[in-house]
Amino acid sequence: MAGLTRTAGAFTVTPHKISVCILLQLYAPSAQMSLPFPFSSVSQHNRLGLYLLSLTKSCDDIFEPKLEDLLNQLREVGEDMDAWLTDHLTNRFSSLTSPDDLLNFFNDMRGILGSVDSGAAQDDQIILDPSSNLGMFVRRCILAFNLLSFEGVCHLFTSIEVYCREAHSSSAQYDASNDNLESLIQHDQMDMEKYIMDKATEEIELQKNASGSVPFHLHTPEALFKVTEGLLVTRKEKSRTNMKKTEATPLACASSSTADDTLVDESLFLRTNYQIQGCLMEQADAIETHGSSLSSSSIESFLQKLQNLAPELHRVHFLRYLNKLHSDDYFAALDNLLRYFDYSAGTEGFDLVPPSAGCSMYGRYEIALLCLGMMHFRFGHPNLALEVLTEAVRVSQQLSNDTCLAYTLAAMSNLLSEMGIASTTSVLGSSYSPGTSTASSLSVQQRVYILLKESLRRADSLKLRRLVASNHLAMAKFELMHVQRPLLSFGPKASMRHKTCPVSVCKEIRLGAHLISDFSAESSTMTIDGSLSSAWLKDLQKPWGQPVFSQESGSRKSSTFFQFCDHLVSIPGSVSQIIGASYLLRATSWELYGSAPMARMNTLVYATLFGDSSSSSDAELAYLKLIQHLALYKGYKDAFAALKIAEEKFLTVSKSKVLLLKLQLLHEHALHRGNLKLAQRMCNELGGLASTTMGVDMELKVEASLREARTLLAAKQYSQAANVAHSLFCTCHKFNLQIEKASVLLLLAEIHKKSGNAVLGLPYALASISFCQSFNLDLLKASATLTLAELWLGLGSNHAKRALDLLHGAFPMILGHGGLELRARAYIFEANCYLSDPSFSVSTDSDTVLDSLRQASDELQALEYHELAAEALYLMAMVYDKLGRLEEREEAAALFKKHITALENPQHEEPNMA
Amino acid sequence: MVSKESCRNEIRAAIRQLSDRCLYSAAKWAGEQLVGIEQDPSNFTPSNTRFQRGSSSIRRRFGTNESISTPQPSVGFSQPPATPLPQDDEVIDGDLYLLAKSYFDCREYRRASHVLRDQMSKKSVFLRCYALYLAGEKRKEEEMIELEGPLGKSDAINRELVSLERELSALKRTGAIDSFGLYLYGVILKEKGNESLARTCLVESVNSYPWNWSAWSELQSLCTSIEILNSLSLNNHWMKEFFLASAYQELRMHTESLAKYEYLQGIFSFSNYIQAQTAKAQYCLREFDQVEIMFEDLLRNDPYRVEDMDLYSNVLYAKEACAALSYLAHKVFLTDKYRPESCCIVGNYYSLKGQHEKAVMYFRRALKLNKKYLSAWTLMGHEYVEMKNTSAAIDAYRRAVDINPCDYRAWYGLGQAYEMMGMPFYALHYFRKSIFFLPNDSRLWIAMGKCYQSEQLHMLEEAINCYKRAVNCGDTEGIALNQLAKLHKKLGRNEEAAFYFEKDLERMDAEGLEGPNMFEALVFLATHLKTNKKFDEAEVYCTRLLDYSGPEKEKAKSLLRGIRMAQTGFPSMDMEHFPL
Repeated sequence: MAGLTRTAGAFTVTPHKISVCILLQLYAPSAQMSLPFPFSSVSQHNRLGLYLLSLTKSCDDIFEPKLEDLLNQLREVGEDMDAWLTDHLTNRFSSLTSPDDLLNFFNDMRGILGSVDSGAAQDDQIILDPSSNLGMFVRRCILAFNLLSFEGVCHLFTSIEVYCREAHSSSAQYDASNDNLESLIQHDQMDMEKYIMDKATEEIELQKNASGSVPFHLHTPEALFKVTEGLLVTRKEKSRTNMKKTEATPLACASSSTADDTLVDESLFLRTNYQIQGCLMEQADAIETHGSSLSSSSIESFLQKLQNLAPELHRVHFLRYLNKLHSDDYFAALDNLLRYFDYSAGTEGFDLVPPSAGCSMYGRYEIALLCLGMMHFRFGHPNLALEVLTEAVRVSQQLSNDTCLAYTLAAMSNLLSEMGIASTTSVLGSSYSPGTSTASSLSVQQRVYILLKESLRRADSLKLRRLVASNHLAMAKFELMHVQRPLLSFGPKASMRHKTCPVSVCKEIRLGAHLISDFSAESSTMTIDGSLSSAWLKDLQKPWGQPVFSQESGSRKSSTFFQFCDHLVSIPGSVSQIIGASYLLRATSWELYGSAPMARMNTLVYATLFGDSSSSSDAELAYLKLIQHLALYKGYKDAFAALKIAEEKFLTVSKSKVLLLKLQLLHEHALHRGNLKLAQRMCNELGGLASTTMGVDMELKVEASLREARTLLAAKQYSQAANVAHSLFCTCHKFNLQIEKASVLLLLAEIHKKSGNAVLGLPYALASISFCQSFNLDLLKASATLTLAELWLGLGSNHAKRALDLLHGAFPMILGHGGLELRARAYIFEANCYLSDPSFSVSTDSDTVLDSLRQASDELQALEYHELAAEALYLMAMVYDKLGRLEEREEAAALFKKHITALENPQHEEPNMA
Repeated sequence: MVSKESCRNEIRAAIRQLSDRCLYSAAKWAGEQLVGIEQDPSNFTPSNTRFQRGSSSIRRRFGTNESISTPQPSVGFSQPPATPLPQDDEVIDGDLYLLAKSYFDCREYRRASHVLRDQMSKKSVFLRCYALYLAGEKRKEEEMIELEGPLGKSDAINRELVSLERELSALKRTGAIDSFGLYLYGVILKEKGNESLARTCLVESVNSYPWNWSAWSELQSLCTSIEILNSLSLNNHWMKEFFLASAYQELRMHTESLAKYEYLQGIFSFSNYIQAQTAKAQYCLREFDQVEIMFEDLLRNDPYRVEDMDLYSNVLYAKEACAALSYLAHKVFLTDKYRPESCCIVGNYYSLKGQHEKAVMYFRRALKLNKKYLSAWTLMGHEYVEMKNTSAAIDAYRRAVDINPCDYRAWYGLGQAYEMMGMPFYALHYFRKSIFFLPNDSRLWIAMGKCYQSEQLHMLEEAINCYKRAVNCGDTEGIALNQLAKLHKKLGRNEEAAFYFEKDLERMDAEGLEGPNMFEALVFLATHLKTNKKFDEAEVYCTRLLDYSGPEKEKAKSLLRGIRMAQTGFPSMDMEHFPL
């Protein structure tokens, strides 16, 4: 409690700063020489000066380098006089044998500062200008030292000892000269037995010290490599790379028992409140971008240390909450979230709260509710989440925290649209009815719409740009998925617009992406990311001509580049994330509208430009979209190869969708190859992924039963397939899943077509087409048209003309955007139409038919779709037979036979992916 | 049952051995128990019993001689009291040891350990290590102040722990460690966070030397759950009973704990310690009157006692005895002003007087003296709640909870604070937590029920369930019954409502209470019975209502009239509708 009264940004003397001071003394000795003793050239001198400047600049970094690292860097800078520099440094340290020496040292430091007026006295004299950067640094050090009490000096003295000893233990140059220092330092420890005991134990202890510090101070080969390459790597970067290295984790755990002794020296490097906040923010970003691929225990041990060092820094609890959230530990996450808000009252470190607002009395507990709600949402407790968010709305209204209210409404609409809760009336109706009193009677969709509108309005008026942007995106998503009807207007004026209009979707998406231009205009508080202090050392890399990005592995290259640019244009990660999300949404919308190239392009834009700043789940989504595209347009081989890569990359992401996609692909593959047992198994596994709670994971459940119906259809169990499809349609209707309805209707038409009941199939196909029309699902509509045509043909060959017309109408869409299967189907059907048309003569117009069939069979080969391929080849053989081209006929027949045998023995060649 | 005499002899020897090793608090504890043993009436003249608390020096000397001369029963771990008293080897390293001990007594710990640097006897090794440990602790305390940083950073650690741990583990490996060394090793391991090893060390220590109460209490602090407690393999000894009693108490098994203390009181019938602990357990069972008497008694015997007096002040606070509380505070302050307990008592006094700022100041002082003083954090939270500074209250409660996650009062306080801020759903989590630790307290259930009942949540079914639990836990204030009745009435379940109103009425009758609740119950019951055509019973309630004045009387009159009407076979006409 007493500690809180001290200023947060205190500048304290640390051993590292003393190192810098010693070097400064070398750089500008008080003796009047134009070029001080050890330097052979002016450029060499300047080089040291530059280095010192960067050191003083990076002094505000979170962790300071250890002596060993400093020495390594010095060797690089010093070139031929490196030995002299490092020796001087270590000797100077070992000459500090009592607190008095420290006092004298700082007295001497005063000498290297020139007086204010003598600045221009002599040109060739090297004197530090007291108001220069280096001079300021020296002055601050001297001042800080003078402020120290005697106890403080003693602590500094012991920490210098630790600082030196660590360097010695790691370089394993433990020689007798050090004994002197040791004995002096330990004069207060009366335990003489230590000395009688052999030195081996002492060595052990030192080793322990060294090993205990691994989690912070890299001794990993990579880092050493970096240093020897001459790259000045700041401590933070190192600690970050260390976090990535999961191998370090067991070490960190093993050394936790000895952690206590290392903690002492860590504390010296702990910096101001402000910088720690920055560091924590970076960690939070890391947790989000890397998901649970970042080993949670390594972060945990880091947080534990931080908490030991700064028990009053409550943000640690929040970070721990994030960490636990990403490693799916519900109880720990809940506990830490509550703890954070209990301690800080939500006032520490939330940048969405303007600090000027007087909040000391009541705290910001509405934010706690918001976070809690989102946590429940993530863990799949939609009803709990809704309760909590409702309370959040109430409390933020009470405390008139409009910012929080806007965010809460957005979160709520997100929850409702994602979860599609069926029974919300009881919850929402009683509590919050924005704008209208009839809110309780509204459907979920309408409520989502209202919430979004409200949130958008508030966010707009409060100038919460990111929220505005993400609300626009959510709005776009909403309009994409739902028929927009004018709400609550029943009069004659009510125009019934039944279409979701791509124009408005695009408009919303573009509005969302406007964020970036807003941010370049506004130099907001968001630039503080704690990474600024390290930017200095990074900038220094450039003139030295080092291979800046050479150390990064290929995939991270762009990220480094962007980080680098970040310092120039200062676009916060969250902004680029939202913009990235807009591209993803664009891709999805094109996917639905049925433009494959546009979808692919947008996904690619996302993956290349935003892949590194995005959260791992978004990146995963982009990858999966691309893989899906591959499967549809290039066949399974490529898709499975790509899936392997994605699997490795995203295996650790919690709630990973990779498995989902894998099952989908395997199912599809098995269906095509006629391996129905496998298909059924995949289908069941897919269903098993969904949560058992009502109204949760609806998309997944729909997907599973859709696939089940298709499997049944392939197994020619028509009535069962129709049953499944019917109940699925009911579910879709209940949860208002309009787009899914369209595909279910199409499936029903398909079932009736296959069962030979074309008359029954027609209404379903027509209904599906009208659904597709109102949602602008062009590709689905084309495929429904194809089915419709097939149904017409099924009614008899006299309808062949009509069927052909229908098909030709849909052909541009199918050929331009359709996948392999759809295209092949269309081709085969076209050939079928021609062949069944009595007015068509094979002998005169054989090429029209043969071309389509050849195209179809080629595409089906890639898909390994045996049934259709056999059909195409059969037709081909028949045509050849008619034409009398026997050789080609035999060829086609042989291929036909191959496909038929493959279809009959599906397990003959099991895919090795399963 | 162990004979009193053997107990006495054991303790006497133990005190000597403990204070020889400078384990003063354990010696103090043992001493308290020694004088707590009831004297054998046959050995004493009646005049002697008056002074039995300090038996005469002659007697004591005689006693120790006796203990040395009496041959110990044969060594065997199966027999309960058979742990042999270890013989001291003090003759061998006499002089240096004596010097070291006197340094130690003067609190010059490093000097003491230095004197013993070459001594290899177990006793000297222990004292050296112990002195070193204390020196480290002292330095740690000082550094804590020196190193205090802007974020509450106080990473001061006992710098001797590493070397001590190394030395003691080496000794343990070679078997050259006695039970005292094991105790110290256990303490060090606990401080280093190695709890399971610490437990085994302490168990080993108390099994070989059971009279060291400090070892027992360290062990007790490591038993955070009943499973851990049961998994310990402890030799039977009467000291184990003390241990179990205190462990049960910590684990909130108050009745078990009380049973143990009752058993122990058979031997140590005059022990202040047992009396205080019994009072503590009774306090947790909310037997305030009894506790007050016990503490009064305790203070009469031991007027300068400060330990546990904060509990007494809590009792006085609950009974709103201002004068007694101020008297206690004054007395304790004169005894020792710089004890967290004293500050806590003063804080309680100011709180009772409604001067919450001052109360907070004293609680803060108590916390300054002991940062981990649980009840001060909780009480400070209460004060902040009184001052309507909810965020400060939440902070204080949260600190209490983080010190001891089983502190149901603090969880409850957290829930209350959040409820005050209009966040009942958020508060529910905290109430649930507090109920988890104390499932049999009706007050907690009622609080949770109120929370569910709040207008924001309006989850009446859940509220009813909570109140039902409260009734089952023996709700003394009758809130739950009343609320149950009202809720059922609100939900239109008249049968249930009538049932609970009747029960509530019975309770009020038994306690001789009157008030609006009673009127409400009577009116409801009368109307309900009347509509159900149970006119006789309805009439009984109506006539009871007639005894009171006010609108209820009029209501009863009209009800009665209606009943008469219905009984005499008039067509069912509601007379109330006619202006009479």
